[in-house]
Amino acid sequence: MTKRILVVEDDEPILDLMDLLIRRLGYEPVLLSNGPDALRYAKNDPPALILLDIMMTPISGWEFLEKLRAEPALKTLPVIIFSASPSVEEKMASINDPFLGVLHKPVSFVELRTGIEQALKKQE
Amino acid sequence: MDRTVQVLGRQVAHTDIVRVFVIISLSLCCILITAISLAQNTGAVYTQLFYFPIIYGTYFYTKKGLYLSGACALAYEVLSYYYVYPNPVDLISTTAQAILFILVAVVVAYFTEKVNTSEARYRSIFESSLMGIILFDQNSFAIKLTNTCVEDMLGYTEEELRSKTFTSLFSTPEEQRVFFERLGSSADITNFQTRFRKKDGEAIWVTLSWRRVTENMVSTSIIDINSRKLAEQAAEESAARYRQVTENSPTGIVILRDQKIEYSNPAFTQFSGYTPAELAGKDFLTLVQEEDRAEFFRFISTEGGKGDQPEIRECRVITKSGGTRLGALFFTSIIHRGSPALLINLVDTTERQQLKERIQKDTELRHGIISTVAHELRTPLQPIMGYLNLLTQDPKTYGVTDETRAILDRCAKSVDRESQIINQMLELSVLDAGKIPLSYSQVNVRDLLSTIVSTGGYASKGDLTIDAPEETVMDIDESKISVVIDSMLSNAVNYSKPPRKIRVSYQFSNAEQMHRISIQDNGVGITNSQLDEIFEPFNLPAAGSQARKPDRVGLSLSIAKKYVQMHGGFISVDSIVNLGSTFTIHLPKTPPKAAEAGQL
Repeated sequence: MTKRILVVEDDEPILDLMDLLIRRLGYEPVLLSNGPDALRYAKNDPPALILLDIMMTPISGWEFLEKLRAEPALKTLPVIIFSASPSVEEKMASINDPFLGVLHKPVSFVELRTGIEQALKKQE
Repeated sequence: MDRTVQVLGRQVAHTDIVRVFVIISLSLCCILITAISLAQNTGAVYTQLFYFPIIYGTYFYTKKGLYLSGACALAYEVLSYYYVYPNPVDLISTTAQAILFILVAVVVAYFTEKVNTSEARYRSIFESSLMGIILFDQNSFAIKLTNTCVEDMLGYTEEELRSKTFTSLFSTPEEQRVFFERLGSSADITNFQTRFRKKDGEAIWVTLSWRRVTENMVSTSIIDINSRKLAEQAAEESAARYRQVTENSPTGIVILRDQKIEYSNPAFTQFSGYTPAELAGKDFLTLVQEEDRAEFFRFISTEGGKGDQPEIRECRVITKSGGTRLGALFFTSIIHRGSPALLINLVDTTERQQLKERIQKDTELRHGIISTVAHELRTPLQPIMGYLNLLTQDPKTYGVTDETRAILDRCAKSVDRESQIINQMLELSVLDAGKIPLSYSQVNVRDLLSTIVSTGGYASKGDLTIDAPEETVMDIDESKISVVIDSMLSNAVNYSKPPRKIRVSYQFSNAEQMHRISIQDNGVGITNSQLDEIFEPFNLPAAGSQARKPDRVGLSLSIAKKYVQMHGGFISVDSIVNLGSTFTIHLPKTPPKAAEAGQL
């Protein structure tokens, strides 16, 4: 069965791109443009990995992550922060979550592939 | 002093010569008169006449007078015997007369001696007195008598003084005027301070006390108080100077004793808003903001300026209006009016602090703006880069020809470059905000250089040599210094054309205790005027100038410079146009203290 990757991203062009890229990498993309919808989806039917934008409304990527990790079943679900904002590392260092990775926009096809593969491998 | 003449090898005064002449003449007259009256047997012998030379002589010359009386008695006795012999009554009476001469002489000698002794005593007291004494005539002010102390004090001889008037001794007409005023106001004056002029023209401070000893004679005692007065004046001058300095000082000055304010200068009163009267005696601690009190109290009670160097503390001071001002306080232990006190110098740092805060705020604001801008610029790059990657990864699906692919590759390169510039801009902004700490570790130089060269693929770009000892390690933040060396290498490649010759070498400077890493190329070089500019972010052209600045890779040198500065080092550049450049990174062997590095 193909692994599902949930993309939480409020930027339409990026969402379209991710659809193409993830398919090309051989996964099944699930595209959602806001935190609450994505949270509901993840609780119902946890994906193999989440690609998470940070600057979003109504809740930010950090808030999404906090709520996600509040669910015991989702504590080890790999999440890759996928952001263009510069101060991500500082915040990540303070959270100290072993199942959290980061990819800085703009990310190349190769970087995306490596990032996803590493995150999935870590969980196994 | 009487005038003298040389007589038989001795100094003899004129008066003495006259006296001796008179005495001898009188004596001879007496003998002559006695001889004549005895010879003619007039019956009247004027023996009383002998008393004149005897008393006169004995009074002035005690011993010689006694001899004289003896001589007269003998002469009289011999003459009398010759005429009255052998009348026993007359013999007895003349002998008695002769003895009487000697007795009179003895009595006179006794009293004269007594008077002389007491006069000599007074004379010696007068002469040896440590106080100068001058006797002058009240009407003519002519000086009648002086002692050696006055002579020494003023530098005149006794004779010179005698020829002067007392009033001419004053140094200025003004002093003279004051003297007349005082002399007129009271008969006896003590401790009148004035100035005399010495023979050499120098003024001398003296204190005078005088009293009238006779109707016209005034006796004045003079004490030399020059050195004391000068010391006093110097002290006054120094106090005045000190006052002037403290009163005009822009630094607040406070002197505390037992925490109470003893003195505060205008700068401090202005700073605190209180009047000097309100501050006097006030407990300084009440002026210090409550949060800072404990620290301040601990400081003044325990350590307070124990060392030679003043101690510095910054604390908030509550002003009269209830506001708060910030001051840097310098504490020094001093002796004030004879007992230990605490001197506080206060520099108003309120504005500096406000400025610092504003700069900090501005920097943070700018950093925030740059972060947001970076985010906004990066986001649209993602689809461009993603689609470009997609097209080149899978050319067949999307019908991409080789020619199109070459174009797409160039587009991808531009996206990379854009992305890199945004990253560097962000990095610089973070560095400006001073937020990046260094993580030091021991790094092997040779390994470091090899890794950077192989990661960047620089060896394939030209003839590249690495010259570094195998065992040398440096204490550095590896990732930061890697970025520095990488940007140097990248520049060396970008600003030279094949056949490239790039040499990376390491040296240790014993004199400076610094590591030196040099990156030498055979590229286009940098002109002198460009040297200063290449490290400036964006190489901003001067206002109004359209000239393009040297096209070094965006911000990498600015970042490199900051990283090296954070390490306590610097970058130097040697360059010859069209021959090549050498960039040298100097890093201290011992990393600077965290605080110092953080300020860079």
